[in-house]
Amino acid sequence: MSDATATEPTGGHTKDLSRARDMILCEDVSKWYGDFQALDKVSATIKEQEVVVVLGPSGGGKSTWIRCINRLEIHQEGRIIVDDVELTNDLRNIEQVRSEVGMVFQQFNLFPHLKVIDNVSLAPIWVRKKPRAEAEEQAMALLERVGIPEQAHKYPGQLSGGQQQRVAIARALAMEPKIMLFDEVTSALDPEMVKEVLDIMKALALSGMTMMVVTHEMGFAKEVADRIMFMEEGQIVEVGTPTHFFENPTEDRTKLFLSQIL
Amino acid sequence: MAGFGIGSEIASVAATATVPITAPPETPKLPPREWVKANLFSSPFNSVLTVVSTAILLTLSWNLLKFIFNPIRQWNASATNLRLLMTRAYPEEQYLRIWVCVAIILTLAGSSMAVWRTGSAMPVTGLGRKLLATGALLVLLALLAPFSAGATVQWLLAALVVAAVGEALRRTGGRGETERTVSTLTLQVVALAGLVASLWVIPFGHHSYIPKRIPQVMHEPGTVALSTKLPWTIMLVVVVAAYFGGVLLRDRLAENALRVTLVVLWLLAPPVLVYLILRDPDFDMGHVIGTDIPIFLAYAVLGSTLLLWLTRPSTGEIGRIVAALVLLAGFATFLSPMRMVLRLDLLLLATFALAAPTFAGGLRARKRYTGAWLVLLGVMSWLITSINTASTVRVPGGFFIGGLAITLMVAIFTIVLSVPLGIALALARTSSMPIFRLLATWFIEFVRGVPLITILIFFSIMLPLFLPRGMHLGEVAAVIIGFVLFSAAYMAENIRGGLQSVTRGQHEAAEAVGMTTAQKTVFIVLPQALRVAIPPLVGHCIGVFKETSLLAIIGVFDLLYMARYVVPGQTEFMGSARESILFVIPIYWIVCSRMSKASQRIEQRTGLGER
Repeated sequence: MSDATATEPTGGHTKDLSRARDMILCEDVSKWYGDFQALDKVSATIKEQEVVVVLGPSGGGKSTWIRCINRLEIHQEGRIIVDDVELTNDLRNIEQVRSEVGMVFQQFNLFPHLKVIDNVSLAPIWVRKKPRAEAEEQAMALLERVGIPEQAHKYPGQLSGGQQQRVAIARALAMEPKIMLFDEVTSALDPEMVKEVLDIMKALALSGMTMMVVTHEMGFAKEVADRIMFMEEGQIVEVGTPTHFFENPTEDRTKLFLSQIL
Repeated sequence: MAGFGIGSEIASVAATATVPITAPPETPKLPPREWVKANLFSSPFNSVLTVVSTAILLTLSWNLLKFIFNPIRQWNASATNLRLLMTRAYPEEQYLRIWVCVAIILTLAGSSMAVWRTGSAMPVTGLGRKLLATGALLVLLALLAPFSAGATVQWLLAALVVAAVGEALRRTGGRGETERTVSTLTLQVVALAGLVASLWVIPFGHHSYIPKRIPQVMHEPGTVALSTKLPWTIMLVVVVAAYFGGVLLRDRLAENALRVTLVVLWLLAPPVLVYLILRDPDFDMGHVIGTDIPIFLAYAVLGSTLLLWLTRPSTGEIGRIVAALVLLAGFATFLSPMRMVLRLDLLLLATFALAAPTFAGGLRARKRYTGAWLVLLGVMSWLITSINTASTVRVPGGFFIGGLAITLMVAIFTIVLSVPLGIALALARTSSMPIFRLLATWFIEFVRGVPLITILIFFSIMLPLFLPRGMHLGEVAAVIIGFVLFSAAYMAENIRGGLQSVTRGQHEAAEAVGMTTAQKTVFIVLPQALRVAIPPLVGHCIGVFKETSLLAIIGVFDLLYMARYVVPGQTEFMGSARESILFVIPIYWIVCSRMSKASQRIEQRTGLGER
């Protein structure tokens, strides 16, 4: 706990989100893998421009939930509505949601056979139907924004982990998404590369992007989150501002979790 | 010295914080005696192995040389029958067609070499070392071969000259900074030029087989016939000129566009060469103008209109329904009798219509897509007409060509056509749609469960009975279709292996940026899957090339059959089967080893982005 008091939570909870519209709406979302229940009636609303950090022990359903939001996983009960489009089996809805929701993965998942610039510009060209020149110009601008324009004509395999993850962020941003999902994006990185990726995520949060972040980086959660959700055993146990969450959590399970990691 | 060097390197690293590339310390070269000791006689067991295998190799070479240089060997059987081995009974007065085909292939090859920048720099010392080794091998063989004393001396001299040139190059090649290199392309051209020049200089003798009423073997002293050495000289000029032409184009035009054009030309070449140039179809112009061209025009106009509409981004879901209806209509045409070309064109249109939403976009993209449809429709219409038209080339037997020509022809067609079919089957087998999955699985398992010979017999003898009226399959076409189906089933399994190697994460990343299944497959999954599948695919292609010798069973006179039965069957060359077979072995080997080299090159090139 000493660490939590040492750095004062400075999260963006000074932002006034009371009149912002709902970007992601989950109602009693449940999902099973065989007999194992991964999500148990998860309900939450995420507002436009809000940054939500999802914390919790491994296997608690964080990743499953975030992957349900762009239908990489299919939820079996409940409703998920993203930017007024409900996720059902209708392919058109799924394609529409996916092109508005950017996602960054733990394992980067860059396309190893394409150069960095093609990794970034491929989807705008073929999904958004942008002319190639325009898409490449935008890709260069994005690579500039994540700080690696000089790597544009290399292959992902020639880049360090941190650089690859920054390319992955640029690739997601190239679709000009309204929402960004981050699924443990720093977990596969060497410690010295974590900061460069987190810095970009902070900048993105400041620019007003709606973000949902699954992470184990408590510092990032304190500093950037508008709200923190704590998940365990497929349920949202506690929701609150970083100050509330780190300084006086109400639930016993949250206290136990915090005492284990801090 | 070395210690100093490394120390200063470390100092400079610390000073500038950039990492200079330091050459790794050179492993000291062992003197020959030590090398032999370390590599061949390092332990008693190793020594025994070395002695035994040397003995075996020497005995084998000695026996082979004794066989080759035995005066009773009838090597002129192959020399006299070269035309038969290459093309069987293709009429001599039409031979210009063959040379035109070879010239077209060499033009494509030469310009492709320039555009893809093949060839690498070879250090002169390396070349010298290779020549030295070749010289040493020649000395050994000259000593082993059962030559007369005079001939042995001549061979030894030649071998020593080679070795001496090699040693001189090795010494003058320089090393490190001053190392001189030579392009492997230059070396190849020099070697080819040497071969062609030898045709003009060395008295190989003028052999020919005159298949008149009473066949005659003619052989005169002197160099080979003008009808051999002149065309080959022209071919050498053609390939060199094509290379420099390719260099000129490469430096002036966009490289990617050139590459695409060349690939398209390579794909168009086999049907054009075989069905337009070699087979020389005897077109019935009345039928062509009255039926074929109107059908083509109707499809061209209606299809283009449909595709231009379907590729509009605003068309949306109705487009998919229309495309599905076109496909249904394509299948429905098989219920009523009509010209086969009508059905095939409609099926092609359905394929384009189904893929249209993926390629939707601006006006330029739409025009390009429609253009692709027009080109493919044109090629298909013309091919179907050509295949259905009788050939003007009259030769005895069912096939207008044989020997090496048909071996290569069937192999190339099979490889080129079965790759896309194999990809389609593999995708269908891994598809999430049960109908496709079931059909593909049944097809693959059925074809793999039937011997190739059965399939060949079915396609050459029984298929014509099942064909609808108005559809005649040329002899070669029927056989090729059988081969393609067989080969595609095996390729599909190789490609499926590649598809499975693409990780779940790649699929998810492509889906997460909103790609449709088709886009994901074309841009993300297939390129990675094919890269993994290259080694087994090329292995399979080599197999296909060698399996073409099974064509003999259905009465096609391929290279091996010519060498095994036709040439030794001539009264003049009774019992020359072993010589003929020994003659075709290097031909098969050269083609197969080229394919495997090509596969290694492709692997290296596509391995660039591998993590």
